[in-house]
Amino acid sequence: MTDAKKQQSNKLSEAEAIERAKLGDAEAFEALYNLHKRRVYSLCLRMTANTAAAEDLTQEAFLQLFRKIGTFRGESAFSTWLHRMSVNVVLMQLRKKGLPVVSLEETMETEEDAPRKELGADDARLAGSVDRMQLQRSIAALPPGYRMIFLLHDVEGYEHNEIAEMVGCSIGNSKSQLHKARMKLREILKTSRAEKAAKP
Amino acid sequence: MTCEEFERVLPELGDGHTTEQEAHLKSCSACSDLVADLNAISQQARLLQGSEEPSPWVWNSIEVALQQEGLIRQPHLARSQPPAPLLGWKLRWLVPAAAMFLVAFGVLMFQRGTGQPPVAEQQTPPVGVETAGLQPMAGDDLQLLKTVGERMPSMRAEYEANLRSVNAYIRDAEESADSDPNDEVAQQYLRNAYEQKAMVYEMALDRSLP
Amino acid sequence: MQWGMLIMCRKQRAAIFAVVILVLVAFAAAETTRKEMHFKVGRRASVSIVNAYGPISVKPGPGKRVVVTAILYSAKVEVDQSSRGHRVSVFSHLLDGATPDTGRVDYEVLVPADANVTLHSTTGPLHVEKLHSDMILEGSGAVVEVRDVSSGHIQIKTLNGPVTLTNVSDGHVDITSVSGDVALNMVNGSVVHVNSSSGKIHYDGDFGDAGDYSLTTHSGDIEAIAPAYASIEVVARSVQGRVENDFPLQPEHTSFVARAGSAFAGTMGEAASSVKLLSFSGKIHLKKH
Repeated sequence: MTDAKKQQSNKLSEAEAIERAKLGDAEAFEALYNLHKRRVYSLCLRMTANTAAAEDLTQEAFLQLFRKIGTFRGESAFSTWLHRMSVNVVLMQLRKKGLPVVSLEETMETEEDAPRKELGADDARLAGSVDRMQLQRSIAALPPGYRMIFLLHDVEGYEHNEIAEMVGCSIGNSKSQLHKARMKLREILKTSRAEKAAKP
Repeated sequence: MTCEEFERVLPELGDGHTTEQEAHLKSCSACSDLVADLNAISQQARLLQGSEEPSPWVWNSIEVALQQEGLIRQPHLARSQPPAPLLGWKLRWLVPAAAMFLVAFGVLMFQRGTGQPPVAEQQTPPVGVETAGLQPMAGDDLQLLKTVGERMPSMRAEYEANLRSVNAYIRDAEESADSDPNDEVAQQYLRNAYEQKAMVYEMALDRSLP
Repeated sequence: MQWGMLIMCRKQRAAIFAVVILVLVAFAAAETTRKEMHFKVGRRASVSIVNAYGPISVKPGPGKRVVVTAILYSAKVEVDQSSRGHRVSVFSHLLDGATPDTGRVDYEVLVPADANVTLHSTTGPLHVEKLHSDMILEGSGAVVEVRDVSSGHIQIKTLNGPVTLTNVSDGHVDITSVSGDVALNMVNGSVVHVNSSSGKIHYDGDFGDAGDYSLTTHSGDIEAIAPAYASIEVVARSVQGRVENDFPLQPEHTSFVARAGSAFAGTMGEAASSVKLLSFSGKIHLKKH
């Protein structure tokens, strides 16, 4: 089966599952859950850096979705609908806990948060050698505001206008935060590599 | 264009650069290295999408909530209770399939959890350590124990003892089933043994606990 | 005189020792924090407690409320909670450097009697009583005790924690234990399944409710004690262990092959319930009350 046909048959399966779920079919709910659980959970995990909290948020996101599935008319992709819901669930949780969602004012950033500018520095490149596990650890080390924007854009693939709408900031702020997040990650990855190289 | 000017506009750059920016990148190795690094980070980040798996507990909780809220209107049989007719003696062909599913499920869950690529379901003979007359453990079991040792060192010995017990059960059950493939009791032993193994893996990977 | 002085000295030492102990206990108690959480819920609420280290006890409480009392043993653990509608979740959140001692939280939970309960713990113990609802109890080393429960689906998973069920009626019981012993006293239901590897299984009851009872082990012994009036269709087999039966069974037509000392099959009374006692190398004994 070609990729296009596979995608087509998968889409039909999801569409079928959605219609059956509207009728209360238990297997349909489970099928939808299995189709999307990894993406939703990964998103929640990276945003909270806590597996128990991530599982709880995953549960909540799916429950909200399933409660509202009767209203889904197919105007947008189901996955988009689900992921927006997941992001909202996480944002609500972070706000409830009083954790910063995003730095709304650039002037609020401290010297520690802002990555050092390395003009003309003669450091080794990372290109082609960004280790995935290292990157995961580095993302967890980012300040929450940077982490949120980086995850939504570079990991989840949202555009800046979508991110701005979701988190309540300007498009310019979203771009600026993303750049700072990437710069910070570059700094963390280089430091980590240097420390590794220095070990006997 | 100076490096400072280039970095100032970097957040606004998408995939395209102006002629002036291109010229600067060609002439400045520091800025071109920076752009290459940031692109590499961005590309690697995309691979992280959907790379983690929640524990089975999450679905169990969702299912319970859906039932309680009346959103599930058609009954669904949980995996742990096969339909009543199958609890009889006619499990001859379903039992091996269910058993392989349980082991494969446990192994796949574990491999995804450690970021390893999936390997064949059939466990290869172990390259592991043989401890004083005990059967050597398969690679997946050793990897599970390593993960347990890293996450909860005090539990490692307990998990090892339980894995050995379960592996012995599987060995005996397989031998019994092989000697008489038509023996339904032997098939029951085998199914139970695999259920035990799947449970050990599930508990070890349960991220709600340390 | 000298003896009197010696006794006095001993009494004084004992008193001083007692005071020191009291001070130490008071000091230790001062380190603990008590937290109480109240939740309003509706019919058939769902309560989930995740606690790595420490006991969880669940009992029925008045009204449509869930009351969770937590004793935290140090600042290295926090208790997080969430509640949406009828769903309540409480979990112990370990901070960096927490150990089984400093990360310990003791939970006492009061729930409506029809609330479904899910408990996860590493050390436990887990205790549930007097509910008529579904429950999932999981703990690698947790001692699990369930008593006076009816009309519920009980699922228990443990590695080596002993499991004891007492007075469970009209239930659906599913227990998987690797090396923990399982004791079922007056446990009846439509389905009672116990799957153990090396843990022993002890059943004391009448196998009632026209149920499907399956007690299986790899190397653990199985002891089932039933009254003379039990109405069962029973098969028992141990591949390498000894099998004994105290009942006069009626033979039945079945493909199951009986072998003296290692396998038997037959019926008693109306054969309302199906009973399977299977072990690979453990002993099996069907005893009469």
